Amino acid sequence: MTYCFYICVCLCLVIFQTTIIPHIALFNNFYDLLIPFIIYLGLFRPAREGILFILVLGFIMDSLSGGPFGLYLTTYFWLFIVVKIVIKYLHACNNILLLFIVAAGVLMENIIFIASVSMFGPDSRFLAITMRAVIFQILWAGCTGFFFITFFNHIHKKLEKFSIFRSGTKIT
Amino acid sequence: MFSKKMVMIVGAVALIVVNIIILSVNSSRYSSYGSWRIAIFFIAPFQKTVTQSVQFLKNIWGHYFFLVSVAQENDNLKKAINQAIDKNNKYREVEISNFRLRNLLNFRETMTNQVLVAEVISQDPSPWFKTIIIDKGKSDGVEKGLPVVVPEGIAGQIIDISYNYSKVLLIIDPNSAVDALVQRTRDRGLIKGESYGRCLSKYVLRKHDVKVGDTVVSSGLDGVFPKGLRVGYVTEIVKRNSGIFQEVTVMPYVDFGKLEEVLIVLDSPKHDFDFVSEQ
Repeated sequence: MTYCFYICVCLCLVIFQTTIIPHIALFNNFYDLLIPFIIYLGLFRPAREGILFILVLGFIMDSLSGGPFGLYLTTYFWLFIVVKIVIKYLHACNNILLLFIVAAGVLMENIIFIASVSMFGPDSRFLAITMRAVIFQILWAGCTGFFFITFFNHIHKKLEKFSIFRSGTKIT
Repeated sequence: MFSKKMVMIVGAVALIVVNIIILSVNSSRYSSYGSWRIAIFFIAPFQKTVTQSVQFLKNIWGHYFFLVSVAQENDNLKKAINQAIDKNNKYREVEISNFRLRNLLNFRETMTNQVLVAEVISQDPSPWFKTIIIDKGKSDGVEKGLPVVVPEGIAGQIIDISYNYSKVLLIIDPNSAVDALVQRTRDRGLIKGESYGRCLSKYVLRKHDVKVGDTVVSSGLDGVFPKGLRVGYVTEIVKRNSGIFQEVTVMPYVDFGKLEEVLIVLDSPKHDFDFVSEQ
């Protein structure tokens, strides 16, 4: 049930990100929608459950993207690790943490991506436009990231309850 | 002298006669003697209230109960209008597609190369890289390295193929490079993609007379794109104090945000990628 949920969510997010978002002018500088999901896995799910899924997800995104292969894989993996380290010191359900962690994740992904693109020798205009895009992405993440994580958590809990209820009914 | 009964009868008759006379006099001309104003002063507010209440109830009845059938009819009409709008929208979409495909067909006929039409199904998930995925793959005869064009100009190059789908690297991607020349002066340069939707023509010598607005076309020397296809137009030229090259910014003719169908040139000049990767 859990893995089915992960697959469905990721499928929806990837399709939404690659087919719908590019056609909506408002979301020109929207962030990677999988980041809130990876952060959710890092915050609320056990490491052994999430890690394999994250690697598969990174692989899929790398396949869809035109960037150097392994870029998404690297980003998602390290993001997951960083989140796991962070929750050793902070409580996962802390609202302030949830407000900022997606924005921080988006910033981290952008730093990795920009570093990768910079290898091709960017000019000053590139950096100016990049800064603008990154700022917009972080703002978007700050405004909406919290809701995504809360939504994933809520749906997953409901599904788990439903799953327990069903198995309980079968036993009786 | 007169009995009491007699007086009563005479009085009543007299009253009737006087009454009839007054009525007949009044019926010949209108007069209210100011009594109307007094009456209206006291009565009218109540009349108004009652009338308004009745009107209100009537309206409620008329709008909410009596018009149930009208509301249903209205719902049906709304549904019909929505269907008509939807149909109209579909026709408009078909019309636009028809126009776009006709353009593509005209362009296809003008091209001497063998081409294959493909539909764009998705875009790159990252804003930093510019690729698209199209619905034609190995099964349709698509190969790695084939050029992808649209009537407006060069779109990109196939970089990855699966059985039914292919990934196209757009010319605005930082990884992309197209050998091109300025149409007017025939000066050569290398069109490199920039992530923000523009291209940079590199290695254009300072001495070359490139002007803003000049059209840039493919040179055909890269072994990928056929010669003479439009790439873009010059929007900015920067000549620094030092260096032998000038920086030429090129705006592609293709609107990459609105790509829906593309043409894959199947018999373009071949480029041995395996050989290059081995090198």
